[in-house]
Amino acid sequence: MNNKFEALTSAKTSNQETDRLKAEDSDDEEEPFRPAPKPGEGEHPLQYNYAIWFSRRSQNSKSVQYDKNLKFIASFASVEQFWNIYSYIVRPGDMSGHVDYHLFKEGIRPMWEDDANKHGGKWIIRLKKGLASRCWENLIMAMLGEQFMVGEEICGAVISIRYQDDILSLWNRSNDSTITSRIRDTLQRVLNLPPHTIMEYKEHTESIKDQTSFRNTNFVR
Amino acid sequence: MASQEQSPKGRDIPAIRRVVLNDVSQLPSDYSSTPGGTLFSTTPGGTRIVYDRSRLMQLRNSPLARSPPANMAKIPGITDFNADALSPKLKDKENGLTEEKDHLKEDGKYGHDEHPQFEMDI
Repeated sequence: MNNKFEALTSAKTSNQETDRLKAEDSDDEEEPFRPAPKPGEGEHPLQYNYAIWFSRRSQNSKSVQYDKNLKFIASFASVEQFWNIYSYIVRPGDMSGHVDYHLFKEGIRPMWEDDANKHGGKWIIRLKKGLASRCWENLIMAMLGEQFMVGEEICGAVISIRYQDDILSLWNRSNDSTITSRIRDTLQRVLNLPPHTIMEYKEHTESIKDQTSFRNTNFVR
Repeated sequence: MASQEQSPKGRDIPAIRRVVLNDVSQLPSDYSSTPGGTLFSTTPGGTRIVYDRSRLMQLRNSPLARSPPANMAKIPGITDFNADALSPKLKDKENGLTEEKDHLKEDGKYGHDEHPQFEMDI
């Protein structure tokens, strides 16, 4: 698959994408996108700037468009800015209902259709209740700290709070199997997963077809 | 070596860091870490800014990481500008902490994160 190269090209347009996001969101009075501040003196810069988003399925109508429920919380460029934000948002394990946090590189919207995502997919790990906060924290720290060693591949991470169990996802740009298996191995390591944990991969093209996030996945052990 | 021509020319990892252990207790508690951090603290050529988990946790205690974020969206019940108002009990619940820790202001922010990795049963 050569999708990877196409995806890499789109990485270079991330500034344009940020501009586009700003333009798109400017008519949304609620939560306009705000770019991350430059790391201040003494702060530790991250390899990428990131943005954190929140979504809650609307109770009145389940058919409300996904991106209408997506709320931008904040973006950050340094380790210190990240902790400032993280310390002032509710931890995923303390939330209830049908809610998600999305932590994505700045310029990538947490949507299947985004240019950075559309050729890629995501690893899915289902968690028993009670593990969400800890696993989410370990996952995002590995992502922010560039522990995955797959170049530009990582797009973002999602924690989805659901009624039965909670679901951790890590999105990447391409569905190249060398890359996805490397990501899987790093996930097992940083999350300290038991050896036979089931992990599932789903390409976003499939999600666009069946309009579900977590069904009809490819199982891997 | 037959494969000499095919092998790409690599670059040295820029700095070698040696960590001396004086006691077995200084060994990391899980296989994902090496003494002093994870395996790679710098990538060849120094092209990536890499932090391991313990470094990020350490930076959390920096005074620079403790100010309320200036430009965060207000979402009722989610972005919480009055973190102390959240019951520490609620925050610690999921981590199975048996006792309530001191109700210090730091409790919710720093308390349970300092526990070592645990074995999960998923």
